[in-house]
Amino acid sequence: MSATPETDAAPGAEILFLAEGELAGLVADLATAAVEVVGPAATEPASPAAAAADVLHGRPELEYRTLAPGVAPLLAPGMPRLSLKGFFLPQTEALFAWRQHGTEIEIERGEASARRRVALGVKPCDAAALEIVDHVMNWDFADQPWNERRVATTVFTLACPVEDGSCFCTAVGLAPDGTRGADGLFTPVEGGWLVEPSTEKGAAFVAEHAARFATASAALVDEGAEARRAANERVAGHLEIDAESVREWIAGHFDDPLLAGLGVRCHGCGTCASVCPTCHCFDIVDETDGVGKGTRRRSWDTCQTGKFTLHASGHNPRNDQNARFRQRLNHKFSIYPLRFGEVLCTGCGRCSRECHAGQDLVEMLAAIDVAARRPAAVGAETESGGPA
Amino acid sequence: MSTVAPQHEARPAPEARPAPTIYEPNLMTVIDLVDETVDTRTLQLEFKDEALRESFAFHAGQFGEYSAFGAGECTFCIASPPTRAGAIECTFKTVGKVSAALRELNVGDTMGFRGPYGNWFPVDDWGGKNVLFVAGGIGLAPVRCVIWNVLDRRDEFGDVTIVYGARSVDDLVYKRELEEWAGRADVNMVTTVDPGGETPDWDGRVGFVPTVLGEVAPSAKDTVAVVCGPPVMIKFSFPVLADLGFADDDVFTTLEMRMKCGVGKCGRCNIGPYYVCKDGPVFSATQLKTLPPEY
Repeated sequence: MSATPETDAAPGAEILFLAEGELAGLVADLATAAVEVVGPAATEPASPAAAAADVLHGRPELEYRTLAPGVAPLLAPGMPRLSLKGFFLPQTEALFAWRQHGTEIEIERGEASARRRVALGVKPCDAAALEIVDHVMNWDFADQPWNERRVATTVFTLACPVEDGSCFCTAVGLAPDGTRGADGLFTPVEGGWLVEPSTEKGAAFVAEHAARFATASAALVDEGAEARRAANERVAGHLEIDAESVREWIAGHFDDPLLAGLGVRCHGCGTCASVCPTCHCFDIVDETDGVGKGTRRRSWDTCQTGKFTLHASGHNPRNDQNARFRQRLNHKFSIYPLRFGEVLCTGCGRCSRECHAGQDLVEMLAAIDVAARRPAAVGAETESGGPA
Repeated sequence: MSTVAPQHEARPAPEARPAPTIYEPNLMTVIDLVDETVDTRTLQLEFKDEALRESFAFHAGQFGEYSAFGAGECTFCIASPPTRAGAIECTFKTVGKVSAALRELNVGDTMGFRGPYGNWFPVDDWGGKNVLFVAGGIGLAPVRCVIWNVLDRRDEFGDVTIVYGARSVDDLVYKRELEEWAGRADVNMVTTVDPGGETPDWDGRVGFVPTVLGEVAPSAKDTVAVVCGPPVMIKFSFPVLADLGFADDDVFTTLEMRMKCGVGKCGRCNIGPYYVCKDGPVFSATQLKTLPPEY
């Protein structure tokens, strides 16, 4: 996987311009059409300290939110703390409800998750995650709730200026101005945004709201292109790895001290998985509601907790944090690419940014990449350990 | 359930999902139950849906997700053979919340089932071969499915040898079937209990399964082996089989991993390059040797 920036506009396609003043109108049109708008919004500071931090950073913390009808998304720099995945795989959702009548059980299916939505101002790394997770959600068995939400949602990314040193999207084959998993791209320019749909769904959206868009001037197109080029260049300097050698090295060095010791600082809190746009593991549990009725729910889960793999017998195949952390890296950079042809990571950097213990994926991948490029030492392990 | 919300005049209801999702279980009726040991029970289950009762088919070694509504789902292999249609059986030990709730069910009660999932033992490839079964404790449950599958098609196979053991006489499961197999001229049945687990009138062997397997020393010639039991039994049985001359390709086991979805989504049973729910649960010893020791 090479770090080729994606340039998605079809050749010769006209680039549109949405003036700042038109955004409110666009959102009002969407409210009239009963289309839900998801987008970044300022988080209400939870404490005086959080408010102070916003002042310190010179901007509010962002979060993706389903916006009230007519409210415009905040199309500004900043990385929402959680990714967009919760809008497709909610943190918790009812799979169905059940009711007991004597010895009989009645299953009550929920509503199909098909409300029409448009997500505006999505980070390219968050949109790409949707397409990457599509593989596992449709591997043989199709996960209907995920697919229904994917179909019902039109996604426009917002070209990212590159947030900080934890960003590394180009190292995993993506780009700060990408449209993977999205239907089009907004690029901030003087007075508004360049708008380039990249799919039929995106084109249909633009066509539906044609009155809001103008044709972009050549000067604005140049301005956008320059900003995008600069962002690509900036993020490319953060990390460069050869994904295929990293995959092979991880697969073949299960017991290597580098891989086996990476979890030594990890608390197993699972924050990395919560904030990750591609982590999709879940738990399924029953919740009772009084006697004789309840719901079966699925909720986010993480391989970083001990109970994730704990057998009923008490045996735990991954009994310590090093083993669990190694599994996380394994799954993302070795197993998923082997199975689905690409890494389960979009380089958003949230796991590094949010880790309380300072586990830094950028550092780790750089170290593994160095090890993978090093000629194999004599007597080095060649295949994963095998049963002890 | 008579005092739920009062019925108001029809209001446009939100559109319910037209088809079940992959997470919705099929409803089944408990039609029989057998206590195998003090904490292990077998449930015999029949689909409520008549069409499904007719059409349901599976292979020996596949598993399902069994629901006790209100407690959740649990993963067990289907313990009855595919050659006996109409009902399926599961055998489980009461250790957790769901198994305890399943144990509360009586004949006539309703539970849920999703499946069959996963791969299976390649029984169809074993025509003309001898089959050796090695099982320990409740690990006989998935093996029993294969044993009956083979015995129901007895003419297709050569010698059938079963080496089965448990911690104590009380812990042996399917006791009536063990007797039935022992009484058959076309089955070589060896039953053992761990040292200290025997009763005064125990007439089987005493010794750990791998040890007894070495003593019985079945020939590896034209023979496939099916092994299932606690991890420690599997671990020590493999070298014994290798010493007897079994090739890794001819040794099969079924892996137990914690699962939730059963359909390759929830990520829980992922080990090495495999998802046990999709690529397994049946693995050959050859495949097992490529796996990291995380099972």
